[in-house]
Amino acid sequence: MSALHRFLRRPEAVAGALILAALFAMAVSAGLLFPGDPQSIAGPALLPPFQDWSLPLGTDRLGRDVLTELFHGARTSLAVGLAAAAAALAVGAVIGTLAGFTGGLTDEVLMRITDAFQTVPSFLLALAFVSVVGPSLGVVVVAIALGTWTGPARVARAEVLSIRERDYVANARVIGMHPLAIAFREVLPNALPPVLALSSVIVAAAILTEAALSFLGLADPNRVTWGGMIAEGRTVLRTAPFLSIVPGIALVLTVLGVYLAGEGIVETTAVRRGLS
Amino acid sequence: MSLLAVSNLTRRYNRGGETVAAVHDVSFAIDPGETLALAGPSGSGKSTIARLVLRLIEPDAGRIEFEGNDFLALAGSALRAHRARLQMVFQDPLAAFNPRATVARVLDDPLRIHGIASRTERPHRIAELLERVGLPVDLASRAIHEISGGQRQRIAIARAIATKPSLIVLDEAVSALDVSVRGQILELLLDLQRKQRIAYLFISHDLGVIRAVAHRIVLLDAGRIAESGNARAVIDSPQSAIGKALVAAAPRLDRTMQDAS
Repeated sequence: MSALHRFLRRPEAVAGALILAALFAMAVSAGLLFPGDPQSIAGPALLPPFQDWSLPLGTDRLGRDVLTELFHGARTSLAVGLAAAAAALAVGAVIGTLAGFTGGLTDEVLMRITDAFQTVPSFLLALAFVSVVGPSLGVVVVAIALGTWTGPARVARAEVLSIRERDYVANARVIGMHPLAIAFREVLPNALPPVLALSSVIVAAAILTEAALSFLGLADPNRVTWGGMIAEGRTVLRTAPFLSIVPGIALVLTVLGVYLAGEGIVETTAVRRGLS
Repeated sequence: MSLLAVSNLTRRYNRGGETVAAVHDVSFAIDPGETLALAGPSGSGKSTIARLVLRLIEPDAGRIEFEGNDFLALAGSALRAHRARLQMVFQDPLAAFNPRATVARVLDDPLRIHGIASRTERPHRIAELLERVGLPVDLASRAIHEISGGQRQRIAIARAIATKPSLIVLDEAVSALDVSVRGQILELLLDLQRKQRIAYLFISHDLGVIRAVAHRIVLLDAGRIAESGNARAVIDSPQSAIGKALVAAAPRLDRTMQDAS
């Protein structure tokens, strides 16, 4: 049975995949369905949802279309979440592999740096970094990756420590392969599965961190973000709670979707490796 | 002059606070085109010697001379370049290859690393190597985990001879194979030795196989040399206590081994 079949037999995984697919569709179609500046004024201020079908989710305090903002916000959430997670996984895997494979002083130095990053709460680190460098999409990505690469680094190192003792690594040395080539061609690809298993948790955490940074006003001011929308709606929470609730629901569904789909993928691949 | 000369090789391990010598003051030499067997019970230091000779681990004392050079003095890129002349075949043909590799990649690596053939020539060289070890050429595109154990060990031999080595260390290279395949692999090794004058350091606990393929034997016991000499002479009338014990414990394989050789 193929991995896809096993994946499709898990209802929670399928639900997660559907949510993610919807999110991707939103992000991709945002520019087509709602062209122009999502932050431009589209109607009267504080229009409640389901009143005017040209503005189905209503408008915010300044009369901006909530649905348009929601679609464009999906772009930011996905872009930041995926980019930050990819950066964290790549940096973590490389540093973990170098530490585990080289051993000795390099290992010691790299792991103490990892410790140092791990002792600082990752959200504070991101907050401080964005405050100092200034908010833009790239900076937010780097800020989130700074706090999350340590997990993949530790997992990769532990895996590499076991793999480097295998015969095929000795065989690569015997044929005269360069140590760096051994580390990154022979060892790293085989150490990746448990590292990639972390990705769903990291993507979900990155999306939440991005939202939290936006909520605190530390996001790129030229982009719509769900966190920013929640913060915006907070001032009129009593009179127009939907302004915070709608992006809040989107955020919850996204994180849930990432978790479920990620777990589904990990479970199906784990079954495959267990059988072989 | 001998091809490989090992003198006073010692390697110690720290086991629970006390130092144990896995290999103690071992000396031997291999001539070009010769097969020297290293035999002994489990834990006698056979595999440690193999790994020392290949510089996979470093000795605490002793010298290794290979093709007239001080092999222990080499480091970095000079050592990697010299590795072309000194190859190894591992016991477990599945563990010895990257589980993600294909046959072609396994054979491509040594050719690429030592600059033996250009990118366009390499597929031909890989086909040649496959033919030389008696495998069909279309095996190249298969994944290493898809082929049988005997085929895998032939691939390991093809990889070892890709760089035209003068010495191949065979660490229990036929022990994991079933008996019929074992005979064929031994036959292939003897054939390569005849045609290319490759020397073998043949590590095994199987005295029947050793008697069939080795010229000389070194018997090890607890990291020290117990006895050495002509392989047949030593196996037929061992002088040391460990030699007598090993011969007495070995199943009578004389007749089957004569068939194989």
